[in-house]
Amino acid sequence: MNVEKTVLEISNLTKTYADQNASTHVLENVSLKIREKEFVCILGPSGCGKTTLLRCIAGFESYEGQILVEGEPKFRPGIDRIMVFQDFNQLFPWKTVKKNIQYPLRLQGIKDKKTLAEISYMALKKVKLLEYKAYYPFQLSGGMKQRVAVAKALALKAKIILMDEPFAALDAMSRRDLQNELLKIAETENSTFIFVTHNIQEAIILGSRIMVFQKGGEAVYDEKNPILKPAGPASDGYGELWERLKKALYCEAPVKTERELVL
Amino acid sequence: MLCIWETAAGLELLGPNSRLIFPSLEAVMEAFVRNFVKGYAGLTLWVYVGNSMLLLLEGMMTGVILAFLFSGLSMISSIFHAVYNLIISVFDLLPGVALLPVVIIVFGVKPGVIVFLVVHAVVWPMSRNLLDGFKAVTRIYVEAGENIGLHGMSLLLGIYLPASVSYIISGLKVGWARAWRGLISAEMIFGVAAMPGIGLFINQMRTNLKNAEMYATLLVIVIIGLVVQYGIFAPIENNTVKKWGMSK
Repeated sequence: MNVEKTVLEISNLTKTYADQNASTHVLENVSLKIREKEFVCILGPSGCGKTTLLRCIAGFESYEGQILVEGEPKFRPGIDRIMVFQDFNQLFPWKTVKKNIQYPLRLQGIKDKKTLAEISYMALKKVKLLEYKAYYPFQLSGGMKQRVAVAKALALKAKIILMDEPFAALDAMSRRDLQNELLKIAETENSTFIFVTHNIQEAIILGSRIMVFQKGGEAVYDEKNPILKPAGPASDGYGELWERLKKALYCEAPVKTERELVL
Repeated sequence: MLCIWETAAGLELLGPNSRLIFPSLEAVMEAFVRNFVKGYAGLTLWVYVGNSMLLLLEGMMTGVILAFLFSGLSMISSIFHAVYNLIISVFDLLPGVALLPVVIIVFGVKPGVIVFLVVHAVVWPMSRNLLDGFKAVTRIYVEAGENIGLHGMSLLLGIYLPASVSYIISGLKVGWARAWRGLISAEMIFGVAAMPGIGLFINQMRTNLKNAEMYATLLVIVIIGLVVQYGIFAPIENNTVKKWGMSK
């Protein structure tokens, strides 16, 4: 196997939300490295800072510390880090499915109609939505909208695809379908995925590496996923891993104390 | 309503001048045709309507462009936003007709005065709606836009504008209605000989006690309003917010 390149390096990342009389460290001194083509699943309870971490990586939030993508510091949003939000309404309602995918490409300077059509065709094929290319987002189900959002990220060939509980609001069946598709897509793409979830099973099914965060973004668990794909409850070692992750998730591991500073 | 109209006039419920107050519907219809065929003082109503529409169009275009310009600037600079918000609040309260004396002193009696009043009628409600629309744009569209490389002007044009189209259309509707009313009022107060409009025509009919013609001209005003609503605004809505599922 090749020596895997570090695609994302975060050092001493601290994010503080302050109001008039108190400030809260949502993330405190978070440092981590993510290698190319990894599929990192971040598990964590509500308020542990996992979404904030994604938003900092995406460039939507200001922060202290350093976020390097292939060695370059990032402070602003960019197409090398595409975010797939949890909210179904992330597609532009005034553009068709096809145009939603082509628009970012146009902004990158791809003007040739044939090229645009080819790229959007390939992306929609990967998420199995070819026949819906002329639909407007409001005509699609929640799952379909999320697929389009994934297709958009694939078409842009984003280095890092950030996914913030994209399937959390879906019914169990659609979620399983999308997980399977995403798994297949991730295997063939060159992108690195960072996938935030609160669902242990989802993390085991998708992740090549699983992290568990506790308050302040402290990683109490960070290991490669030992279970072979396709993973499921019947896989070897599934139950054991599930138990370990559950322990880490439900504070049965050492947890840092409350860190609210009163100014 | 038409029945009440006819009964009130026929039975002279409003005294001996009932027919003058409510001319028969037949007379109004005849006057309607006569307005367009013969008109007044050698000019048919077509000319008056044409003049009014021309001034209106010029004023509306200027007003809309200014509204876009100032609202856009407000999105870029917060100081400009604060100042412009105050300006809108102040001037939106001033009826155009109340400004008329000042405007006439400054510009003189010219068609430009009417255009000015139309601009005044359009620019404030349009700006208010644009600013409200921009403010109402969902955070996620803005972030999705920034994510694919939009910022500043391109973000304004690529995200804020299309996302607030329903506000823009409603601003146009309010602006158009105010402009249309302001235009007729101004024309009734003073007529510009170089460009006589519908308001002036009504006034001329009033002076000559041609009440049937007066009513017929009011009908024309309503018809034009309906044509604009169903011929212009409805198709715009059908091809944007309705097509996109942003409005029922």
